[in-house]
Amino acid sequence: MSEKFSRRDFLKLAGVGAATSAILTGCGPASRYVKREPYMQMPEYNYNGQSTYYATTCRECAAGCGLIVRTVQGRAIKTEGNAGNPLNLGKTCARGQATLHGLYNPDRVQEPLKRSARGGDSTQAMDWDAAIQVVADALKNNKPEEIAFLMGMAPDHLFDLVSDLAKATGMNAPLRFGALGMFEARATLSKAAENLFGEASLPFFDVGGAQVVFSFGANFLETWLSPVSYTRGFAGLREAKTKMRGKFVQFESRMSQTGGKADEWIPLRPGTEALVALAIGKLASEIRGGAMPRAFENVDPIDAASKSGIKLETLEHLAGMFAGSNGALAIPGGPALGQSNGLAVAEAVLALNAISDNFGKPGGVYLSALAPNQSEYQRPASAQEMQEFVQKMADGKIKVLFVHGVNPLFELPTALGFGGASKSVSQIISFATFPDETAREADYVFPDHHGLESWGYQRVATGSAQPVLSGAQPVVSPYYNTRATADVLIAAAQLAGGSFASALPFKDEVEFLHGKVSALMGEVDGSISAPDLPTFMAYFQQHGGYWRNSDERVAPKAGDALNREISAEVAEFAGEGEFFFVPFVSPTLAEAGANKPWLQELPDPTTTVMWNTWVEMNPETAHELGIENDDVVRIVSEAGELEVPVYLYPAIRPDTIAIPFGQGHTAYGRYAENRGVNPADLLGQHFNEAGDLAFAGMKVKVEKTGAKKPLSRLESMMGVYGIGLGEEH
Amino acid sequence: MATLSDLKISEVKLGEEHTGKWGMVIDQDICTGCQACVAACAMENNLSFVGEEDSGYGRSMHWIRIERFWEGEYPEVKMTPNQPMMCQQCGSATCEPVCPAFATVHSQAEQLNLQVYNRCVGTRYCANNCPYQVRSFNWRDYERPEPLPNQLNPDVTVRRRGVMEKCTFCIQRIHKAQDKAKSEGREVVDGEFTTACAQACPANAITFGRVDDPESMVSQLAKRSHGVKHLEELGTLPNVTYFKGG
Amino acid sequence: MIKSIFDWLKQPLGLIAVGITVLTLFSVAAYGIYTTQQAPEQPIQFPHQTHVAFGIQCLYCHPGASKGPAAGLPSQAKCWACHNQIAKTETSALLAPLKEAVLSGTPIQWVPVAQVPDFVQFNHRAHIAAGKNCEDCHGDMSKVTIAQNPQVFNMGWCLNCHVESAGEDHEKLVKLSDCGTCHY
Repeated sequence: MSEKFSRRDFLKLAGVGAATSAILTGCGPASRYVKREPYMQMPEYNYNGQSTYYATTCRECAAGCGLIVRTVQGRAIKTEGNAGNPLNLGKTCARGQATLHGLYNPDRVQEPLKRSARGGDSTQAMDWDAAIQVVADALKNNKPEEIAFLMGMAPDHLFDLVSDLAKATGMNAPLRFGALGMFEARATLSKAAENLFGEASLPFFDVGGAQVVFSFGANFLETWLSPVSYTRGFAGLREAKTKMRGKFVQFESRMSQTGGKADEWIPLRPGTEALVALAIGKLASEIRGGAMPRAFENVDPIDAASKSGIKLETLEHLAGMFAGSNGALAIPGGPALGQSNGLAVAEAVLALNAISDNFGKPGGVYLSALAPNQSEYQRPASAQEMQEFVQKMADGKIKVLFVHGVNPLFELPTALGFGGASKSVSQIISFATFPDETAREADYVFPDHHGLESWGYQRVATGSAQPVLSGAQPVVSPYYNTRATADVLIAAAQLAGGSFASALPFKDEVEFLHGKVSALMGEVDGSISAPDLPTFMAYFQQHGGYWRNSDERVAPKAGDALNREISAEVAEFAGEGEFFFVPFVSPTLAEAGANKPWLQELPDPTTTVMWNTWVEMNPETAHELGIENDDVVRIVSEAGELEVPVYLYPAIRPDTIAIPFGQGHTAYGRYAENRGVNPADLLGQHFNEAGDLAFAGMKVKVEKTGAKKPLSRLESMMGVYGIGLGEEH
Repeated sequence: MATLSDLKISEVKLGEEHTGKWGMVIDQDICTGCQACVAACAMENNLSFVGEEDSGYGRSMHWIRIERFWEGEYPEVKMTPNQPMMCQQCGSATCEPVCPAFATVHSQAEQLNLQVYNRCVGTRYCANNCPYQVRSFNWRDYERPEPLPNQLNPDVTVRRRGVMEKCTFCIQRIHKAQDKAKSEGREVVDGEFTTACAQACPANAITFGRVDDPESMVSQLAKRSHGVKHLEELGTLPNVTYFKGG
Repeated sequence: MIKSIFDWLKQPLGLIAVGITVLTLFSVAAYGIYTTQQAPEQPIQFPHQTHVAFGIQCLYCHPGASKGPAAGLPSQAKCWACHNQIAKTETSALLAPLKEAVLSGTPIQWVPVAQVPDFVQFNHRAHIAAGKNCEDCHGDMSKVTIAQNPQVFNMGWCLNCHVESAGEDHEKLVKLSDCGTCHY
């Protein structure tokens, strides 16, 4: 190329070349070269290009919503709610919609794996026969009391199978845990029900039938217990169809998505929830007249006002509202229960309902109906029970640990030391569908199918008046070389022989399921009935489960709910620092959503942040500290520290900061890994009287780091013209 | 015989006679902002996810988003009722006349604002001119690694780089329902089908249907006194009615 | 330097060179376009004309056409239902791939012939219901082995037929010429 040949000339010639090659190659559509594979044997109920719909159960949380999945040519295309299922009546939440991004996630565990070294990436593929042999050896070659199962809150059929196996062989009973259950403080709720009503159960709050709802921290529109059902209840509260539009008051230190819908949002000082509830009870009882109940006798509303930071007039106004309504309902939940006095909060708030005498009445408090094949309420393990289990692991009393449906290394507070204790367990076998943190620390990963490829059932713990057993069936054939954990256990038990073989005398998972469901066939009040098992199971699959037609919620026996002392003590806070620390479950990601790209791209309902973690701080406080939006700060608690960008949140107390739980994975696939932080790293080992973690019972320090990390938010896009679109009208 | 040129460019009747065909009513008082509609829309309509960096630039492909604004200051701060915002399928849309390629045209048959992907050349004039800011542009060919494409809805085109897109009122569902009704020799019944967002909504805050049928659920609801149409004063004739508060 | 090239091109020899280049480019491009319009190589040289001659209806193998958007390809189980009973299946070289596919349980990978681009949402059912016959678009299958497109499926061709079939019915014309009828 001579020096006369300028850059401009070169571009001219290059342009001619590019145009020529485009003409030569670009004329035919690329799709011309695709191949079409017809069915080898088309199912007779299929037509080319037409959808087939299957009923199954959502596995994104343990609520047990029914799904109808649209499939086209063997691929799952879209999930919708099952309109027949009494729990969700055809509706889903965002996570139920995005479950397909789990099914077709590019980072699933594709085959059984043996890990060369725990925590490492180097693995060897195995075949399933060898995998089953490993499980059989683990069962056979260890003492039963040295074998433990750690399971998630779903699915119930596998829990039943392992429970049966444990009962027959003397193995440790399976332990169930989930971060959602921890942040819901389920143990506290059932303990409070036991103390007040004499029955350990999960209370059911009929929000839809109420006129006035006081919620003390319960995030029932987000992830709490059964969000789809509670959202329907909330719509019922607001819709003025048969009654007046209901009022909603939320007491919490940081405005949650649920709190954002409240008519009155009361930012009380963390730890004073019990005191405030009792003070409102006292004031309301005064308005109602009659003898002052014992529960409220010793409370001083003026003291409550000064300690909680709520004005006395506000307390009186709220008490008037509660006393003046025929349908007042009080709900305890969320961070209010995750404090040192959580049990007292739950009791005080539940007791408030006695004022409006709503127990077992529409718009009031019930005990949840037991599911059709359930004899007593089973709650997941509390954090304290998990701590005891971790101690057992650390003491070397557990030789083999099986993990299914839960990711303790991510979901448990780091301070509980699961990671360290697992080193004392000689063999860890994970059944994880995704390569999560715990699977990375396991010696073997024997992947279970995704929920949409699985058989099973889930008992609806709460949210439906009718007892519901949601049924699951595969809607597509397994995409990878995975195998149902129930099938693996059944096969391994047969190989292990002895009491193992006799405990699980089944051909496969489906035969086991039939055995568990067949007793329902003879019931008269059921949604389906059939003279023989094959027909019954066909209906069970077709309708997505079985439910009774009657309302089987239990009216709590609450004669003496107010005739007892309830502690009005303010909660104690662990650690030093100027800020109360509120971790909350991300409404969009929850405990296991971080690996689904579209859930990551959903804006958080309150902050509109996507793809990351933030810490919420009051703008006034931040201003005083010289902190701005997107400044990275270091949060230091007694248990740990982490660095996270600041979101200036106008609806949080100046003395409180809040961090969402859901991100901060170190494994779990490309969309989750190395993104955001996990607030569980900050949590210490403090429990309330019911054994739940006092996750909202800590004080933390905030330090500037000088770094900046811009958060992706949806709202900034709308601020292009300086003001938001909504403010103009 | 009629020819194509007989069709006037726009036969939309301006002013009060305009009724539209498909419409929505959204009750903001019961919308909880849970994002189920956003996720449902993404799954139904093959929306790409753009990742953290691009979404930070406002390039996320939400066809529906939930707006929330703040009112007042702590402690009297309030979140305004959640406002699901999507294409309002204007009867007289501001996006339509600015497209040099006639890619965003008004459907005479369905009274919707169409986005014809194969015509779109990516000038983005329409997005600039949309007062509701509901159009999103494919700045890149966003990656959708295997086996995620298995989930794609075969009824909806997968868009490529350089193309504008927006809410279609799930026109594929409209066509499917019409096709089914026609094959059975009947009209489409109100409530027979609905859009992905309305179907998912746990609070039932979204109602979809024929606004030109006075008997339909959506028409009945829209008659309620507290319904408002956003930026109606611009003369856009939007087909979505909002109930602001209780 | 560019200037000297252009000067050389202006003299007769140069003009001839330009002519040859343009012609070459044009023929190569034309050949490229031509190849894209040819019936592609199929795993089995499927003789449509033989099957039509036996009196088998189109909808027997492609029943989806009357039911929904896709006409569909028959499953090999369907092929086998007849061919299993035909002695020639055992001996014919043409049928060997079918036999192998069925016996080994591997799917046959056909190459689609009649295709519309991804941004077109085509529905067979509506066209059959409107009284169109298969051969109106796909040509006479009693004359071809591998299916061939008698015409290019482009929008002008589609729209032409849509406008014609609307006739004087204005409402129908509106529907059939609406962008949103095919593109979404």
